[in-house]
Amino acid sequence: MQAASSGIGYGLKYQARCISDVKADTDHTSFLAGTLSLKEENEVHLIRLSSSGTELFCEGLFSHPNEIWDLVSCPFDQRIFSTVYSNGETYGAAIWQIPELYGELNSPQLERITSLDTDSGKIKCILWWPSGRHDKLISINEENMYLWNLDVSKKTAQVQSQDSAGMLHKLSGGAWDPHDVSSVAATCESYLQFWDVRTMKKTISVECSHVCSVDYHPQKQHILVTAEYESGIHIWDLRKPKVPIQELPGHTHWTWTVKCNPEYDGMILSSGTDSTVNLWLASTNHDDLTTERLVDSSARWVDPLLNSYSDYEDSIYGLTWSSREPWIFASLSYDGRVRLQMTEMPDDHARSVVIDTYLCVKLNRGNSLVGNHLFSVVVNLRFQHVDFTLLSLGNKALYQLKEI
Amino acid sequence: MRALLLAHAMTTPLFHRKILCNFYLFCLLRHPLSLDTPSAIVRVECASWVAVLHVSNFSGVQGVREPQWTLAALRMTDGVAPQLDQRHKATAGEYAVGLVLEHTLDANYARNSYSDEDDNVSFVLPVLISKIEGVSLSHSDSTNKVQKEDMDIDDTLLDEKARRTRDLLASFYSPIPSASSNNPFSKHISPDDINSSSFQPDQYMKIMARKSNLEGLLQKHVEMVAEIKNLDTDLQMLVYENYNKFICATDTIKRMKSNILGMEENMEQLLEKIMSVQSRSDSVNTSLCENREHIEKMHRTCNLLRKVQFIYDLPDRLGKCIKSEAYADAVRFYIGSMPIFKAYGDSSFQDCKRASEEAIAIIVKNLQGKVFSDSESMQVRAEAAVLLKQLNFPVDYLKTKLLEKLELSLTDVQIIPEVMKNEYPSVHEAAINEFVEALRAFRVIFPDSEKQLVKLAQDLLTKLGSLPYNAKYFVIIEAYVMTRICSEDLLGVLRVIWNDVLRLVEVLEDISLSNNSLEATKNAVKLYIRSAFFHLMQDISDHLLKVLKRGGAEEYSLEVALDASIKAVYDGGRNVLLDIHKILDDNLEIVDKLRELIIDWVQQGYQNFFRELEVQFLSFLGRNNSSATQSHGLEGAQGDKAFPRLALDLAASFCRGSAGGYDYVLSFVPGVISQKFRAAGEKFLQLYINMRTQRISLLLKKRFATPNWVKHKEPREVHMCVDLFLQELKITGNEVKQILPQDLTKHRRADSNGSSASSRSNSFREEKEKLSRSNIQKGRSQQLLETHLAKLFKQKVEIFTKVEYTQESVVMTIVKLCLKSLQEYARLQTFNRSGFQQIQLDIQFLRTPLKEIVEDEAAMDFLLDEVIVAAVERCLDPIPLELPILDRLIQAKLAQHKEFDLISP
Repeated sequence: MQAASSGIGYGLKYQARCISDVKADTDHTSFLAGTLSLKEENEVHLIRLSSSGTELFCEGLFSHPNEIWDLVSCPFDQRIFSTVYSNGETYGAAIWQIPELYGELNSPQLERITSLDTDSGKIKCILWWPSGRHDKLISINEENMYLWNLDVSKKTAQVQSQDSAGMLHKLSGGAWDPHDVSSVAATCESYLQFWDVRTMKKTISVECSHVCSVDYHPQKQHILVTAEYESGIHIWDLRKPKVPIQELPGHTHWTWTVKCNPEYDGMILSSGTDSTVNLWLASTNHDDLTTERLVDSSARWVDPLLNSYSDYEDSIYGLTWSSREPWIFASLSYDGRVRLQMTEMPDDHARSVVIDTYLCVKLNRGNSLVGNHLFSVVVNLRFQHVDFTLLSLGNKALYQLKEI
Repeated sequence: MRALLLAHAMTTPLFHRKILCNFYLFCLLRHPLSLDTPSAIVRVECASWVAVLHVSNFSGVQGVREPQWTLAALRMTDGVAPQLDQRHKATAGEYAVGLVLEHTLDANYARNSYSDEDDNVSFVLPVLISKIEGVSLSHSDSTNKVQKEDMDIDDTLLDEKARRTRDLLASFYSPIPSASSNNPFSKHISPDDINSSSFQPDQYMKIMARKSNLEGLLQKHVEMVAEIKNLDTDLQMLVYENYNKFICATDTIKRMKSNILGMEENMEQLLEKIMSVQSRSDSVNTSLCENREHIEKMHRTCNLLRKVQFIYDLPDRLGKCIKSEAYADAVRFYIGSMPIFKAYGDSSFQDCKRASEEAIAIIVKNLQGKVFSDSESMQVRAEAAVLLKQLNFPVDYLKTKLLEKLELSLTDVQIIPEVMKNEYPSVHEAAINEFVEALRAFRVIFPDSEKQLVKLAQDLLTKLGSLPYNAKYFVIIEAYVMTRICSEDLLGVLRVIWNDVLRLVEVLEDISLSNNSLEATKNAVKLYIRSAFFHLMQDISDHLLKVLKRGGAEEYSLEVALDASIKAVYDGGRNVLLDIHKILDDNLEIVDKLRELIIDWVQQGYQNFFRELEVQFLSFLGRNNSSATQSHGLEGAQGDKAFPRLALDLAASFCRGSAGGYDYVLSFVPGVISQKFRAAGEKFLQLYINMRTQRISLLLKKRFATPNWVKHKEPREVHMCVDLFLQELKITGNEVKQILPQDLTKHRRADSNGSSASSRSNSFREEKEKLSRSNIQKGRSQQLLETHLAKLFKQKVEIFTKVEYTQESVVMTIVKLCLKSLQEYARLQTFNRSGFQQIQLDIQFLRTPLKEIVEDEAAMDFLLDEVIVAAVERCLDPIPLELPILDRLIQAKLAQHKEFDLISP
């Protein structure tokens, strides 16, 4: 895979680990990035893509008291986000609000809504309710998982329930199932542990070693993707948790993060400590036998690696898709460089994606999925500058597009 | 005018006939003088008769009865008429009409003819009328007409003669008499035409008088007179000539008549004589009849008596035959007398029958004995069988009995391949000889038993048939093949069997047998090849298993096992090839036929074999993978280590094999296979590296996770984790050394570059140290900037390169991966000063021993520096250790190491 064009860059002042897509901002493609500097004044950058789509500019710059290890934007309010921070010795987590009129202030301070302090443990990450306005939050620290009840207006947060990971196990991260909001997955050292948040009880666990990142498939229930330090990326079907349905080779060194594309089925992004971001096209259609057969027959999945972006200087810890423009992703390397990248797939892949969409539409017939697939067609058209791709596609896809 | 007529006649197809008639007419006219005599009448008759004959003949030939021909005949008589009186005329006419009627048998026709040209034949009218009325009374109107015309004739009697003559000629010479009359146009156009039938002299005269002058008229008159004269003479000439001929004919007829007269009497005499001869012969016949019957009766009785005598003599005769062993005669006699015995056996010839049956029983017994006795010659036995068959003896029973005997003898012909080698030739040869002889005999005795024999032979050879399963040649062979045998044994057995088959085929003359056995041989050889490959596979997997089991135990065993397995693959492959070569080289006919097929099979076998081998490797890979991850142990890994090498070797060897022309016939697809093996080898290698790194990674993780780095105490010594790390590397190095080759080229280059590289790295380090020292004074952001700058200026080190099949490459990859992990772990922690110093110390210590291990020092240094940078970045108070202290601590560690080495070398 040749390296794609280097995309749009933006430099943070210090080293950084985390970047988050501002989901709630429907007007702009914006991201939040937090720095990781032990001794300096840390900052949170609100970065926005210019309307021309060629430039990243800093919409807001806020100082943050401690170095930021985790940052998640609130899914329903673009001004709210959560951070996990550390002052070197102790860890803490807090919900912040970007002040109104921040543009006019000289050095705007973040409003701390509440801090999610617990008695013990090194807090690892905060999970927001997957979609929509909801008062539930989850924080995961090394030993425990807490379910919080957040009241933004009263600026309070209370632990609703909690559960221990168990002895000898240290949690490192997690993901909230967008399809079944009662289920949360947390990464442990050698397995993936699932909780039912209603009862706060452990449900199932999937055995996989050194898992460090997990992401649910945004469209398909039961499908989830994990990144493991040394053994690459695994795609799981939770109904068959014994063996992964697909394995992707991952990175030459550790695979740090893995993110599913919010719209397009099977497109997976991974970043690693070998300073590359890889774009994969994986088959998640294993429950759909017909499609699988089609896939097999056309033998399109010979190389699942669509593209490898290797134009980085350091390990990449931060990675996110833009939910507003899902063909865009932002990556953050340790040296503090944000890079916005338009995914561009090679010709035949774009074509196969469109054909795949066509097949999906054809197969599903129902209307529920058509919206998504229409979107993915549009996505692919954006990748390949509409006319070229479609012209080479022939009548089928064109016809289908019209129909949609 | 006559010339014109003739010319006209010439154009018609009837010309020749007219000439003939004309000729007769002429004959009549030439002899007018003799016409008054009665003989003249006869002549006229004859002339008419001959003319009519001709006419009727001609018209008969023509198939058309033309009235003008009969008319012509009439006219001939009429032509003669001027010299005859009315009476004669009538007689002649009557005669002619009779003839005409007789010939045409058509009264209407005749009458029509007459009515058409009535005026010409007026002299025969009375006769005609009576005759026609006799034939057909119904045509009265036509007769009336005729009668009316008759009266007209009287009026114009004066002109009649001239006109008749003219008309006769005109009608005779014109092809169709009615043509002139039927042609109104011509009639109309030439009433003055002198030649036309409607010529009117008065009108003509008038026209002439009007048209011509006197001179012309006179001249015309002279011309006409001359013409008339000419015509008259011509006419006369014609009639004379015809008549002359008639006379000749009449003479001939008269002579014939006189000759016939005496014949009748002679015939009558002859008849009388014949009658008398017949009556005499009848009388002789009747007198002899009685005696003959008597003699015949006597003869019959005599025959009967002779037969009775024969039957009475039969028992004695049979007895004699038995004594002289003339069984054929005996059987013939007996069968000859069978009908009599059948008819009268119960009454008059009872004794006789019994006696002869007894004799026959003896004969049958003797014959049976003969058939079964092996000592008798084939001929005799066959004859005996035939005789028995004639005697209605149940031959089938005999046959089955003999067959049973043959089947029994089959067991003697068994092949026992294990025994074959030593004692086969004599024993088996004898057995098969016997069997073949028996078969031949059987075939001669029972010529119609071919099918059964073929079946029997097939029984012997293949699975079909009733023999116990394990007694078939090819079943035995197949079983034999499944055990480990070398190709010579197989060949030996095959040769024996083929010989046997050939002999059997020779005896039985059945091609299907040899085809069957060819088929069976094919199977056997196929099976042999398959089993050869199977055994080869088994050998190899045995070796591999051994490797797996012993893998972790001792170091040297790894090598040995590896060698053994490689050798197994090599030698096994070669042996199989050699074996098959032997088979191919042997010029046994049966194998010859299969040569192409065998080559195919072997190629297929090889390809399958390699494919299977690869699959097995991969499955080993999977197995080891799971076991290794479960136990986090290295036992599996060590076993694994062997495979990449093995796979690699195989790949290489087969590449070589194909290049050097492994075998001229066996050209499989080595490229694909070696590629596959290469891929498999890479996978193994990757797995190995992964497992190694994982283990070290775990070690490092523990190292970083356990202490509280923020509250770390001052470093007193190099952490033992470093020892463990080095130890792991050493183990890996040892393993790698055992199996992978040294990369000579690279090694040398590394050596030569060694000094410069290290110097560069040293200088860099110093720089770095300076940097870090200066960092203390400078601001943090600046420091970061500077490190970034430094990174930019420094050549970007390719950390992750492709792994190669060399010791150095593998070790280097592992080291690189581990150091990178170290860096990442460091980044996840926060250090206080002491913690950072500890890291610094550890890394510093690592440099020297790693240098010895690692091939690419620059990359290693870079990575180590990166670790320190990471630690600096994550340090709250990054003040490095003073160099002397650092050196001291390292020296202490080294001393400790030496001590340790001394204690346990």
